[in-house]
Amino acid sequence: MYPTRALLSRSVWKGPNIVPLPIVRAAPGQKVVPIKTQARSATILPNFVHQKFQIHNGKNYVDVTITEDMVGHKLGEFAPTRKQFTYKQTKNK
Amino acid sequence: MPFISNINFTEGTLVKRSLETFFGIGPKVSQSIMARFHIQPWAKVGTLKASTLIDLTAELSNMKIENDLRREIQDSIMRLKDMGSYRGRRHAMGLPVRGQRTRTQIATARKLNRTLRGGDGRMGT
Repeated sequence: MYPTRALLSRSVWKGPNIVPLPIVRAAPGQKVVPIKTQARSATILPNFVHQKFQIHNGKNYVDVTITEDMVGHKLGEFAPTRKQFTYKQTKNK
Repeated sequence: MPFISNINFTEGTLVKRSLETFFGIGPKVSQSIMARFHIQPWAKVGTLKASTLIDLTAELSNMKIENDLRREIQDSIMRLKDMGSYRGRRHAMGLPVRGQRTRTQIATARKLNRTLRGGDGRMGT
């Protein structure tokens, strides 16, 4: 399995983009508190798995639960920044 | 009629050409395979010995070609799509995946980018 293109284009000596995020293991039974962040370029590390994130998309925060597949990708890949174009009928012609 | 990997080729076909009919074998790989089995670049399939044909078939069966390769491509695209990443979504929409412009010139992406990608070949048959 290849890492993402973003990883391939990054220098090896830099390592992954590790952003200090407040990762707290929730005690069993307690509700998982989502981590609100604007760090879209942060690489998803193995200890993020099963955590809930609220990732900024430029306007509001998108809820994402991290799965094992997502390790190695960036947080921003899972929060789309563009709105689908929809045609709106004009009222006054 | 010589058989390579259960596919029938006419005797006049170039070995290079017949190898490149398989999905996943291009000029580079076919060249290296032919070099490994001491086949001349312009050799035709009819001139090959039966033992060489068996060797070629054995070699191809160890490689990831045809439907195995297609499945791998589709699996990796489905993985991107299932985890909801931007790249997976672009594949599903048939749009460029790596940030190319979409105002013009997206004919190739329209043609190729889809979740069930992998040539128009013998999948399923």
